[in-house]
Amino acid sequence: MTDPAIAVRGLTKIFPVPLHRQSIVAVRDLDLRVEPGEVYGLLGPNGSGKSTTLKIILGLVSPTRGCTEIFGRDSRLVKSREAVGFLPENPYFYKYLSGEETLRFFGRLCGLGGVQLKNRIDELLELVGLTKARKRRLGTYSKGMLQRIGLAQALIHEPKLVVLDEPTAGVDPAGSREIRDLIVDLKRRGITVLLSSHLLAQAQEMCDRVGILADGVLVREGRLQELIAIENQTELVLADASSQLVEEIESLINRSNAKLIERRKSTTTLERLFLDATTERPKS
Amino acid sequence: MSSDTGALARHRAFSFSRVYAITINTLTELTRLKVFYFLLIFALLLIGSSIFMAQLTFQQEFQILKDVSLGAMSIFTSLLAIVATARLIPQDIEDRTVYTILAKPVPRFEYLLGKIAGVLLLLAISTLIMSSVFLAVLYTREQTVLHETVRQMSKAPREQVDDALRAVRSSALNIDLFPGITVIYLKACLLAALTLFVSTFATTSIFTIVVMTFIYFIGHLQATAREYWLQGHSSGWITHGFLAVVALIFPDLQAFNLVDDIVAGAAISLGLFAKTAVLGIFYTTIYTLLAVFVFYGKEL
Repeated sequence: MTDPAIAVRGLTKIFPVPLHRQSIVAVRDLDLRVEPGEVYGLLGPNGSGKSTTLKIILGLVSPTRGCTEIFGRDSRLVKSREAVGFLPENPYFYKYLSGEETLRFFGRLCGLGGVQLKNRIDELLELVGLTKARKRRLGTYSKGMLQRIGLAQALIHEPKLVVLDEPTAGVDPAGSREIRDLIVDLKRRGITVLLSSHLLAQAQEMCDRVGILADGVLVREGRLQELIAIENQTELVLADASSQLVEEIESLINRSNAKLIERRKSTTTLERLFLDATTERPKS
Repeated sequence: MSSDTGALARHRAFSFSRVYAITINTLTELTRLKVFYFLLIFALLLIGSSIFMAQLTFQQEFQILKDVSLGAMSIFTSLLAIVATARLIPQDIEDRTVYTILAKPVPRFEYLLGKIAGVLLLLAISTLIMSSVFLAVLYTREQTVLHETVRQMSKAPREQVDDALRAVRSSALNIDLFPGITVIYLKACLLAALTLFVSTFATTSIFTIVVMTFIYFIGHLQATAREYWLQGHSSGWITHGFLAVVALIFPDLQAFNLVDDIVAGAAISLGLFAKTAVLGIFYTTIYTLLAVFVFYGKEL
């Protein structure tokens, strides 16, 4: 049996408040299991304990109780981070470094060097679409570009697990779409992704399984399709159907025990409309 | 992927290349600070301008030149050590870069070691630049005075001229300047390590700088406090306790003040230099270890 990419057991994190008797319970008795190769979404409102959970998994914060493992290794051990790439929420990085220098710096921290590192940098800059901006300092990068270089640094050592904290926060719809495409691409390559988000529509597009945190407690967890499916309802989406055909279907429904709840024209999403409208113009 | 770690090289508990990467990055970060250039230019101007100060006799001139230059170097390196180090960790935490670094297989002590090594390298470069300017100014003035002496004593007996030239040389460039400069650097290293330690539990760089300013002044009085504490001169247990805290916690910065002796022309014995150097290295190591200890338990 293979080890799970992430295993969290009985995790509790309590932050003491200095000079106060009360303390803040950020995460309470959390059990979580992320299987290799899946995209897992940790969802929840602000302050629900998502970032704290991620930080504990990455060994940045120590748990009050419980344990976390990455591919079977205690995540408090530095060695466990060999398999992990991390993109924090709204990363800044070092503004005085160029995109290429940033990747070189993080690559060296992972023990890479020479031709191997150079090739990896070229490959990642190509992957995240920043080849042309490789010599530019990060101080001149847009938020979307910073997220993409952040994703590239997370992938520099070819990790088997990528942890993303609010990967599309503050990014415009086009940038957000690019990041989502990159995450989908990671899944295609067999990389496990754990992401936290409070942008539910985006999580719905990317995640295989989700867990919903509220006040530090996991209130729902499971396969996304199973969680959001309405068991007794079925949708039919028809293209080029004549009004006669629609009426016949409706008449069939009326003769059965089923009930027609809604009949409406299919619509595109506001995001798709936005992307179509803004990408029609040539890019400057 | 076939391997457990992808492109990653086999993990080692300690990696010089990881520390080196953080050191060079810290040095790059610090050399981009405007305050570094401002302080360096100010110190160099001070050293350069000391050449124009009171010129009564050549002994007085050289004494003032050394006094001003070594004083400027001491103050500049101390200030730089505190200001540069104070911002490193709070800034990395604020920008979340510390998360991306420590989420890689980088132990926390390597991160701190890289940071302090970057500062020490910056201080070494600054000390080297200032020393070069100072020694160049001193050498230029020495040569001018030597030529002037030879010209003025052209008709004097050879032995008298030689004595005069020896007197000029002994009061200008001499070997005692080098241990003096080394001790100035070691004092700055100590202050950098202490600042790093304070910044591991401080929340802002301003707080660290304020605390360090107090420590700087208290550190110069530490020897007096220690003497009073050991001799039990103080009245009352509160005063005695306070003196004990000052004597035990704060570094003795006055011990690094060899500049006055050098300026006065006193020779620095090898024993005194070795003792001061060991003290500097000891304090720097202890404060770095304390910083590592606090940083290991820090919730990021």
